[in-house]
Parts: sequence; C-alpha cells; structure tokens
Amino acid sequence: MRPRILLPVVLLWSAAALAAADESGRVVFDYQMNCQGCHTPDGAGAGSVPAMKGHVGVFLQSQEGREFLVRVPGSATSALSDERLAAVLNWIMYEFAGDSLQTPFTPYSAAEVGSLRKSPLNEVDDYREQVLRAIAGADARE
Amino acid sequence: MNFFDKVFEQRSRQLAQRSSRRGLLKGLGALLVGGASIPLLPVARASAGEGAGRPMEEGDPSSCDYWRYCAIDGFLCDCCGGSANTCPPGTEMSPVTWIGTCHNPADGRNYVISYNDCCGKSSCGACLCMRDEGDRPVYRPDKTNDINWCLGTASVTYHCSTAIVVGVAFDD
Repeated sequence: MRPRILLPVVLLWSAAALAAADESGRVVFDYQMNCQGCHTPDGAGAGSVPAMKGHVGVFLQSQEGREFLVRVPGSATSALSDERLAAVLNWIMYEFAGDSLQTPFTPYSAAEVGSLRKSPLNEVDDYREQVLRAIAGADARE
Repeated sequence: MNFFDKVFEQRSRQLAQRSSRRGLLKGLGALLVGGASIPLLPVARASAGEGAGRPMEEGDPSSCDYWRYCAIDGFLCDCCGGSANTCPPGTEMSPVTWIGTCHNPADGRNYVISYNDCCGKSSCGACLCMRDEGDRPVYRPDKTNDINWCLGTASVTYHCSTAIVVGVAFDD
C-alpha cells in the first residue's frame, strides 16, 4: 500500500518544487533586468550607488524607511507590476540584508507596494539621509 | 552459553519467518532506483537558472553580428585587445552597466547580457557596433545605452564594451 500513498505525495512535492524554481527564476530575472545594472549582481553597489548588501535591512526599522524602499524612483517607476515589484523587494531583503535585518520581516504585499509607489520620491538623497538619521536617532535613544 | 544460543536461534527464526527470500533485493532495488531519481527531480533546476553562464556558442565575437551584441552601442572589446568577456589591458571594467536580453541562435534560448564598459583609455575606435535592440530613450535611464556607462570606475573615459552572459531570460 505504501507506494500508492507515496506517489501522489512525491508528485505534489515535485510540482511545488517546480513552481518554486519557476518563481525564483522570475524574481532573479526581474532583478537582473531592472536593478542589477546599477546595484551590481551582489547588491554591493558602486560609486554613487549605495550598497544594499548588509545594509538594506536597516530601512525596515521605521515605517518611513520601509516605505522609502518602494518610493525610490528605481522601485516606484520601474516597469514591473505591483506583484513582481513586491517579489523583487522581498527577494532583495532575503538575499542582501544579512545582519542588517534585525526586526522580523513582514514581506511586502502587492497591495502595499501598489499604493506606496503612487507617491514616488523626488529629492531622494535628502529624504534618504533624513530617514536614516531618524533611525539612527531612535537607536541611540534606546 | 545456552542463553545466547536460544536468543540467536529465536531471532534467526523470527527473521526467517517475517522476511521474504528476495526482500533484500527488493529493498536494495528500490533504494537504487529511488536514489537515482532524486537528481531528476525539479529541485536541481532552482540553481541552474543562475549558473547558466555557458550557453552554446556559435559566431565570431569580433563581428557585430555576434548574437550577444544585439543591444550594444560602442566599440567591441574583442577588437581592442580584450574579448567579449574581458577588458583590454590598461582599462577598468565598470561595475555599473546596462543590461538587456539577446536570443542565442545556437540553442534557441534568450539570455541576460550585461554590457560592461571598459574605461580608463580613450575610445578604442575599432569595430564600432550599434545594434541597439531594446534601447529606450534617456528618460528611462536604466534602459538607454546612449549614456556613458563608465560609472563607478576611477576614470569616466569610455574605451570599449563587453557583452557578458549573466543569466537565462525568464520567458513569460
């Protein structure tokens, strides 16, 4: 009897693995086509492109920071759909944040990304500085 | 001693009664076939997409018709002392780059190509190639090849362009 029970389990598991592989292929492709050119393959950045690697998780320490990552022009005005942008942002967090991700991470949803990207940032550098200063200040007070 | 004899006899008889003569063969066979099928399961493909840096190749990397150059706009490093993947001596590869996809006629698949510029010496001047497929106006700065991509290098002087395969394109 056992093989008969096992077969559907194995088939289901294979299908799930295939779907997951497909999903990860798409998110990597979306990162490569929309982000990697400037953010480099490992998120380390170069020149005036800030490093996401080992740093990007810091932004999740405040709501403004979490929103910032969606409202930067590279995210907000990208050609990606809300769903695919959310997937790329979550992938970036899992892939690059490393130790900078201190709080438990609630993944971005398509709906959240969809509403935030309607207000893209203009003065990105100034606003980024402001967000990071506020986070550093909150850290210092603790 | 009698005790051990008894225990072993009992165990042997139990084993003989409970297991079939070919039970071992059956188990071993299942293990072999099952084990062999594990690499065939789709999990192994998860990483294949990223690591596929070696597509089937055909064509001449010093010719503008070479498949990887479908979106290029510049001098081919292959004609300038480098190759489609490497910069000529004395130049530095820009880590910031423009990325597009090209169709590889050799295996019929689309690949993600990174057009890393080589910087630090004046324009190479050989093998100018402008195919510009997928090029967008400058209001889409990440998808235009009309700007100088020598960013993040010590020098912003453009010399030539490489065309490096960085992955397989995801087809919708």
